Amino acid sequence: MRAVVISALLLFVYQVQADAYPEFQRYSKEVSGRPIDCAICHKNSDGPEGLKHGQIGSLNSEELKALGAARRAFKPGANVKNPILNEFGNSILNQLGKEKILMLRQHPELLSAALDPTSDLDNDGITDAEEFEDGTHPLNPLDGKPLKLFKNNLKKNRFDIFMLILATGFGVYGLSNALLWLSSKMEKKE
Amino acid sequence: MEDKKNKFQIFLEFMRERLPLQKMNFETMVQKKEVPIHRMSWAYYLGGLTLLFFIIQLVTGTLLLFYYQSTVSDAYVSVEFITLYVKSGFLIRNLHTWSSSCMIFCLLAHMITTFAMKAFDRPREITWITGVLLLMLTFAFGFTGYLLPWHQIAVNATKVVLQSIEMVGQYLPGSLSTFPTYLKELIQGETSVGQATLSRFTALHVVILPLLFFGVLGLHLLSVQLHGMSQGVDKPTGKKEKFFPIFIIKDFWVWGCVFLGVFILAQCLPFESFSAYPLFEAYNSLGSTPDGIKPEWYFYFIYYPLEMLPFWVIMIGQVVAGVGLILTPWIFKHTSRKVLGMIAWLVTAYLVIITVFGPQIYEVVKGAH
Repeated sequence: MRAVVISALLLFVYQVQADAYPEFQRYSKEVSGRPIDCAICHKNSDGPEGLKHGQIGSLNSEELKALGAARRAFKPGANVKNPILNEFGNSILNQLGKEKILMLRQHPELLSAALDPTSDLDNDGITDAEEFEDGTHPLNPLDGKPLKLFKNNLKKNRFDIFMLILATGFGVYGLSNALLWLSSKMEKKE
Repeated sequence: MEDKKNKFQIFLEFMRERLPLQKMNFETMVQKKEVPIHRMSWAYYLGGLTLLFFIIQLVTGTLLLFYYQSTVSDAYVSVEFITLYVKSGFLIRNLHTWSSSCMIFCLLAHMITTFAMKAFDRPREITWITGVLLLMLTFAFGFTGYLLPWHQIAVNATKVVLQSIEMVGQYLPGSLSTFPTYLKELIQGETSVGQATLSRFTALHVVILPLLFFGVLGLHLLSVQLHGMSQGVDKPTGKKEKFFPIFIIKDFWVWGCVFLGVFILAQCLPFESFSAYPLFEAYNSLGSTPDGIKPEWYFYFIYYPLEMLPFWVIMIGQVVAGVGLILTPWIFKHTSRKVLGMIAWLVTAYLVIITVFGPQIYEVVKGAH
């Protein structure tokens, strides 16, 4: 009985169009000039349809329930967890609600302005909205506009860098003096 | 018999002049060694810098080995683990990546300045040839190391290079035409890039190439120390400084400053941030290949011409360049430093233009067709 229900559910899921909104991906790609795939919002880089990990065909009954709940999250703040979306995708869904997302499909350039300007899911110092515009991954701390990452990390690590400058300076100074001393000793021997 | 003996004696004489082992003592190699001072003196530091980056590579590479797993199922995850969860793992890995690029940059600059200064001239032929071998070994390090993280760009770029090896076969006569395919399969280890390839590349990158590098580097450094620094310019200033301790102290200060620069880069700027994130996702043989697959920047000088020109042109160019590099001390024996300088500028201009503007040039050429 359970198997029949799951199969029917799976069939239903396949018949319904998967919730992929490529307009946002296309916009980010265009504006940033970087090649971007579905993994910017989805769990699987090939999008939501299919049988691979993070795609609809691979979901179990619990995940299918979660998917259904996410599809009904029309208003913001529903606090749902769509199993085919990654943390950034879910963050958009919970911040804006599905209704707003569907509206923004026509104007993907307005998405970054609609997002929380302080949210930085990967903690790399670049907000998620900025990363969306830059075509970099909002969940990957190693991915970001190089100059922005450099500035943020320099600020974050300034103490370590200051200590390293001191250590290197003193180290080379000490080594130089040791060599000078050794050289003078050798000259004296001669 | 007499003729053979003479040839052997000539060879011995040749080697005695190139490797004067009687000079192998502390006095000649360190105490009395002097470094000329002139407008090109800065170039004397480039070899040392290359050595510094090699040492960084060795130390960071050894540390990475504590966690790296060379299996197709775990390689990507282990690199991700190093980067995100191991204490200072990100710094070590990024230092390894940045210093590999810096090593190649310094090695190329060292080679071009050595050429312009005619430092390959008799009796320094062995220094030059070992330098060329070190350059080739460094490129081999770059090529084998690129595959190890087992992400999309690593595997797909390796496939492209291996395919181009196979393509050489169509230009070779008779039974020789199957040799490149055999070579490709030997490197690959199986029908496609897979576990056998990863194991072979790891063995090459971690054991075989470092051992070869140590041997050639030892001969290179011995030859440098036995002959001392070359004159470098046509009209020497007559000014000289002592190698020990003055030049070594200056060298250490240069090392200190450059190490600081690379450390700050490694700490603050992930090398991967220069490419799009889909290229660094785990390799998936069933998934789609992302856009923008290309080799590391130091292979652009061969990669973009390969994309734009007929394969046979590149093949001939490569053979001529390879043989030309090895035979440089004999080909340019009577060439003046002025002409060598001009050639060096041309080579530099080509390398800079193709590396920086390669993608744009490719787009223009592709658009024209």
